[in-house]
Amino acid sequence: MITLIIGGSGSGKSAYAEEYICKKAGDCRKYYLATMQVYDDEGRKKVEKHRQQRQGKGFHTIEMPRNVEKTVKVIKSDTNVNKNMVLLECISNLTANEMFTDQGTSDCETVSDKIIEGIVSLNDSVDELVIVTNNVFEDGDDYEEGTMEYLRALGRINERLASMADRVVEIVAGIPVEVK
Amino acid sequence: MRLVVGGYAQGKLHAVTRRLADDQYEIFDGILPDEEVTTRLEDDTIVIIYNLHRWVRERIKQNASPEEEIAEFVEKENNCIIISNETGNGIVPKDAFEREYRERTGKILVSLAEEADEVWRIICGIPQKIK
Repeated sequence: MITLIIGGSGSGKSAYAEEYICKKAGDCRKYYLATMQVYDDEGRKKVEKHRQQRQGKGFHTIEMPRNVEKTVKVIKSDTNVNKNMVLLECISNLTANEMFTDQGTSDCETVSDKIIEGIVSLNDSVDELVIVTNNVFEDGDDYEEGTMEYLRALGRINERLASMADRVVEIVAGIPVEVK
Repeated sequence: MRLVVGGYAQGKLHAVTRRLADDQYEIFDGILPDEEVTTRLEDDTIVIIYNLHRWVRERIKQNASPEEEIAEFVEKENNCIIISNETGNGIVPKDAFEREYRERTGKILVSLAEEADEVWRIICGIPQKIK
C-alpha cells in the first residue's frame, strides 16, 4: 500500500509522515529512506534537525540519495523481519539528485521513468510505503531551463505516484487534507 | 483564534469580511497592533491581522523572534482572525534569506493552526474549512 504525502516548505509534512507511520507500524520494522545530499552547513543543520525529530521513534535510517531500488537488497537482507514499512523522504531531493549529476543533466523522461521504476520495485518488497513529496508548483513558471525541466520531472513523478497510491494527503499548515 | 491561509490574490480578506457582515472588526495590514491600540478598540471588536507573512518577513529581517511574538499576541488577543499567504509552495529559492523566510513562515502557520479554533483555506475565493 502506498500513501503519498505532499506539502510545501515548512508545511509540517515530515512531522505528519513520521507520526502517520509510527501510529500504523505496530511491531513492523520501520525504515527511513533519506535522500538528501549534504553540501553545506545549512544542509547539515537540516539533516540534524530531521534526525532529532525522528529520534526515539525507532526508525532504521538508510541513506539513499539515488537509486532507491537498491534499498530492496538492504531490506531483504534483514531476515528476521515479519513486516516492514518504509518512509521515503523526499521525492523532490531524489529527483534533483537523479537529474543533476557530475555527468550533466538528465531529461525529464529519463529521470521520471527511472524513479518510478525504482519505487515500483521498492513497493513490491515492502508492506507499506509512505512517500513524501514537495509542492513546488505554485510560485511562478519563469525559471532557467534546468529548473523548468526539474519542475516537469517532479510534476510527472507526483502524478504517477498519486495514481499508484491508495491514499494521497496534502498537508496545509500541519493539517492533513485528503486529496485521494 | 481563527487562521486563514491561501495563495496570493485568492480573495482571502474578502472571504473573511463577507462572513463578518454583522460583526465589528478592525483590519491591521502587515502589523501586529500593540496592547495600547487593542485596548482602545470597543469590546467584541474582532482583530483581523492581514498579511501576517509580511510581518513575519519584517521581523526576521530585524532579527526579532516572530515565533514568540505571535504566540504571545494570540494568547492575549483571542478574538482574532489571522490571515496569511501560503508561501511554501514554490521552487526552493537560491537566496538563503528567502529560504529561511518561507520555512519559518510555514512553521509559524503550523503552530498557529495547532492553537486555532478554526482553520480555513481559501482557493479561488472559496473557503474550505480544514479544522
